Amino acid sequence: MENQQPSRRLFILSLIIGMLIGILVVRLWQVQVLQGASYLRQSEDNRIRDYTLAAPRGIIYDRKGRPLVSNRPAFTVAVLPLELRNPAIVIPRLAPILAMAPDEITTRIVSNRPRLFEPVRIKRDVGPNVVAMIEENRLDLPGVIILPEPVRYYLHGKMAAHVLGYLGEVDPDELAARQVEGYKPGDLIGKAGAERAYETVLRGIDGRLRMEVDALGRPLRVLSRLPAIPGRAIVLTLDLDVQKAAYDALVASGMQAGAAMAMDPRSGDILAMASIPSYDPNLFAIGISPKAWQAITTDRRKPLLNRAIAATYEPGSVFKLVTATAALEHGIVTRQTMFDAPGYFQLGQWTFGDLRAWGRIDFITGIANSVNVVFYTLGYRLGGEELAKYALMMGLGELTGVDLPGEINGTIPSPSTKEQLVGEPWYPGDSVNMSIGQGAITVTPIQVVRMLGGIATGGQLMQPRILLMTYDRNRSQHRADPFLQRTVPFQASTLAVLREGMRAVVERGSGLGARIPGLPMAGKTGSAENPRGKPHAWFAGYAPVGEPRIVVVAFVEHGFRGGISAAPVARAVLHAVFPQPADVEVPR
Amino acid sequence: MSRRLLRYLDWPVLVATLILVVGGAVVLYSAVQNSGDASTLVRARILHAVMGLVVLALMAFIDYQTIARAWRPILGTTLFLLVVVLIIGRSSMGAQRWIALGPLGGFQPSELAKLALIITLAKHLDGHKELTSWRDILPVLIQAAVPIALVIRQPDLGTSMVLAAIAAVMLFAGGAPLGALGAMGAGAAVVAPMAWRILHEYQRRRLLVFIDPGADPLGAGYALIQSKIAVGSGQVFGKGLLHGTQNLLHFIPEQHTDFVFTVIGEELGFVGAALMIGLFVLWLWRGMTIAAQAKDRLGMLMAVGAVGMIAFHLFINVGMTVGLTPITGIPLPFISHGGSALVAMMGATGLLLNVGMRRKKILF
Repeated sequence: MENQQPSRRLFILSLIIGMLIGILVVRLWQVQVLQGASYLRQSEDNRIRDYTLAAPRGIIYDRKGRPLVSNRPAFTVAVLPLELRNPAIVIPRLAPILAMAPDEITTRIVSNRPRLFEPVRIKRDVGPNVVAMIEENRLDLPGVIILPEPVRYYLHGKMAAHVLGYLGEVDPDELAARQVEGYKPGDLIGKAGAERAYETVLRGIDGRLRMEVDALGRPLRVLSRLPAIPGRAIVLTLDLDVQKAAYDALVASGMQAGAAMAMDPRSGDILAMASIPSYDPNLFAIGISPKAWQAITTDRRKPLLNRAIAATYEPGSVFKLVTATAALEHGIVTRQTMFDAPGYFQLGQWTFGDLRAWGRIDFITGIANSVNVVFYTLGYRLGGEELAKYALMMGLGELTGVDLPGEINGTIPSPSTKEQLVGEPWYPGDSVNMSIGQGAITVTPIQVVRMLGGIATGGQLMQPRILLMTYDRNRSQHRADPFLQRTVPFQASTLAVLREGMRAVVERGSGLGARIPGLPMAGKTGSAENPRGKPHAWFAGYAPVGEPRIVVVAFVEHGFRGGISAAPVARAVLHAVFPQPADVEVPR
Repeated sequence: MSRRLLRYLDWPVLVATLILVVGGAVVLYSAVQNSGDASTLVRARILHAVMGLVVLALMAFIDYQTIARAWRPILGTTLFLLVVVLIIGRSSMGAQRWIALGPLGGFQPSELAKLALIITLAKHLDGHKELTSWRDILPVLIQAAVPIALVIRQPDLGTSMVLAAIAAVMLFAGGAPLGALGAMGAGAAVVAPMAWRILHEYQRRRLLVFIDPGADPLGAGYALIQSKIAVGSGQVFGKGLLHGTQNLLHFIPEQHTDFVFTVIGEELGFVGAALMIGLFVLWLWRGMTIAAQAKDRLGMLMAVGAVGMIAFHLFINVGMTVGLTPITGIPLPFISHGGSALVAMMGATGLLLNVGMRRKKILF
């Protein structure tokens, strides 16, 4: 070369090129050798797509093996966010097919943002037309997939809605608490009733279909298949026939709201638990629409409320059984005690009313006709503390421990608690009022059921239960054991008088409306004055007398008189249990 | 005559080139193995390689002085074709780059422009021994700027960058004052925003995701993320030829053209990638040696132009697959699918060999 300049510049160029290539090699070392393992994992994730095989939920049977809740095959339309390359085009195409607003779809996808590989369910239980339309337009809808997902099916709709409960998409709070159990956003979870109480039993374990896919998400082959494990079936203590009778009778009563229960007092088995107004849990099975949810939750009649366990009411005259028990145990009254019942009870300047003047009657007649004056007299002599003690002893005002969510306990006032809570002294008039189940006292229908069970069995308070048994995966049965909570120490003589009186209620007294010819039964009516309207109507009874097999409680909000609106409901329930009462053998 | 020439033939460059072309064809086959028209693509590659060899031989054996003397028709034809492609060109991804050639497929004048720029610029710079005044430099700049502007119009950002790089390297080697080179760089920075407006939306997004690839993981950043996954997942020894999952499952767009290196990285690992880079290093090192030992200034400039072109391609192309450089569609020399590029690269190799064969005896 002529001069030194070019070769120096060539040298500099060589240096620059060498440096760039050095950078390249260092970068490749970094990416391939140092970070290679991490990129390898990402490439595995890339080509592997896990599809969830939805595990069917356990079937719920009644005690005679008739299905109450099952699953039906259905299809869910979902979107794989990672493969939805062109949402601005695909979503407006998808929306009319699903009859949804594009915004609604976008919202659902966005809420799933951080989890690009999981399908986002857009609409459950789409019809065959929708499935066909999506399949036909598959190429125009990249990222849209159809998942076969069974949908919960409540065979009897509203009839047992409150016991069975319903499903809903797991909400963020629950998700945080239950993520370890494998819940994912969009999963359905039991929200109420048995569905919630036995969620862990009913829930299956989702399977997984591991597919190799190409960059467009098209499945190429199955790499592995982990079959879904269906949830375990459960058998409830419910008897479909009795449940149906209870629900139908409540509806037929023509009243707005109420509850009816039937329980075997020997085991605590709940044969029927109906509540009106009811709702159709099938609406929830596919993820309820916001509009429908709004309508149900803002309905002033509160259809979601299970009035048998989650609402408290004044017990009214049903409470007279407690007053009678306390008086009998204390020996201040016997079977033969005679009362003057002029139609009112005078306490100082206060007058307590009665339905009418009954004249001079014995205690049995007092029970049979629910004569207020008789119980005013006893309550006044017993005092509030004793009434409260016996109420609690017989199981009122405390949770029964039934295996359903949402039970509440009500209130049993007493002189000591009144002073503590209200800051007012207990007046003798409070005792008088309480003796007929009025005042601040509130109970749930299921507490009355358990109390009646105690009277029927001679003192045994069985924990009410809804679960008879569970099946495990190989179909062997696991029976739930009845649980004796405690024994109320009734004196035999007390029980004899109570039972005679309650028998008279149905035979010749206020509870005639519940009577079934040929079926020996005992009962008590109640009309609970309340500030919200007409009195609530109660009927609580058991049958057959002597060998009690069933306790029935019917409650109708604002039903006016227990004997008029509640007793027929109880009668219908009993009729379902004993369709041919003549066959019922009862030792005399 | 030809025996003397063959004695000075730079075998390492030729062998490195042939290994890259043949090995590249194998990798290319892997990239298209399940694309449906793999055999068509492979046959096209063989045809292009043969054409490339012919051009290589022509460019090697016709004395480069002779070639340089034909700079006017070369420049004229190139500019003509660059204009033609803007008018009747076939478009791909929104850019007009091809002139249809019937059964031969398409022809990209911008690839020819690279080779033409090396030849004409070398000739031009050869005429100005001293590049001290603007009067010497300006015509050179204009001569480079016209094809660059035409290529940007297509718009083909990558190729225009290659042309600019070739011009810069040759000006530097040709002794242009550093001040002038700096002024050119500043000028490019001023012009850049105008080029931004010519670019298509997807090209702009590609540049933006270079800054933040996570910004749009399903859109423009997708190619970058997937190509990094592909290269990285090859680890040291690779997943084996024909067995790259990213490749087989088509996770990488343009995997047989601009992103063909991802197939090497994934299937042959760091070892394979390093081997490939080693072959390029051999080529470039010999190229620089040839430049240094060239008989005259013209040969030196031609050799430097060829070296600059290959080096720039290599760095930008491999760099973009691992996030070092922005995604601009420029091919990996000798390997990427695309006949025009292969022929142009082999032509440049021929030119380099040409200079090497006619070097004067080593004096020191």
